[in-house]
Amino acid sequence: MPPRLDTLPKGHDLPATTFELSPEWVGEYVAAVEDEAIGALGPGLVPPMAVAALAVRALLERAALPPGAVHIGQEMTFLRAARIGEKLSASARIVSRGERQGWLLMGIDLSVNGDGGPVMEGRATLTMPAAEGAS
Amino acid sequence: MTSPAVGTELAPVVVAVTQEKINRYAEAGGDGNPLHTDPQFAAQTQFGGTIAHGMLLLAYLSRMLTAAFGEAWLSGGRLKVRFRAPARPGDTVSAVGQVLRAGAGRTVCAVECRNQAGETLVSGEAEVRA
Repeated sequence: MPPRLDTLPKGHDLPATTFELSPEWVGEYVAAVEDEAIGALGPGLVPPMAVAALAVRALLERAALPPGAVHIGQEMTFLRAARIGEKLSASARIVSRGERQGWLLMGIDLSVNGDGGPVMEGRATLTMPAAEGAS
Repeated sequence: MTSPAVGTELAPVVVAVTQEKINRYAEAGGDGNPLHTDPQFAAQTQFGGTIAHGMLLLAYLSRMLTAAFGEAWLSGGRLKVRFRAPARPGDTVSAVGQVLRAGAGRTVCAVECRNQAGETLVSGEAEVRA
């Protein structure tokens, strides 16, 4: 059971996790988001937001979201196109953490790398009810 | 790719959001937060019902930007957004964009997702090498 995100301090590194952009998973993702544009660019390319989704999934495997957590902001830079079949590694670090009026605000940097070099980097901002003794 | 002129509107992406689509995204994205998939749980939250994942709305923006800028979006694209309001099952979401600045090899667009009432759900900027 991963620790709850709201119990983790600023500077905490979430362990890296690896995953593969399998044809099956990419197909499921493309169907789920109805992305008709990526196929027009040619075979083998992965929607950049799919990589971001996997980075978020990696985060959720390493830190559980508390009830009531809400994603309020997102920044991301796509450094190169990812291709079907690539093996990638995602990691995350808590870079900010503050509490105001009973709500916790956390910034989490995400990065995704592969054998061909960095694929994406970004920052997610989340807010959640501050648990007593968690801040 | 030629840089589009300032003021150019990108071809919008319009999607009817359903609970089935939200569930499908939850499975594909691995985000099973009950706020998105469990109507009984979601009814007890501040939202009063299930809402779409923020990352699903960003996927619609990304589809629009892929269609507009091709591989320039996939390699070198940047996005910075705030989530302003939730998309709910039954909403029709439009991802829209307009070129704000162009030059020095970069094009910056204002981007938004809106619902059928014109309410802004997501807003921010996207930048590409174009």
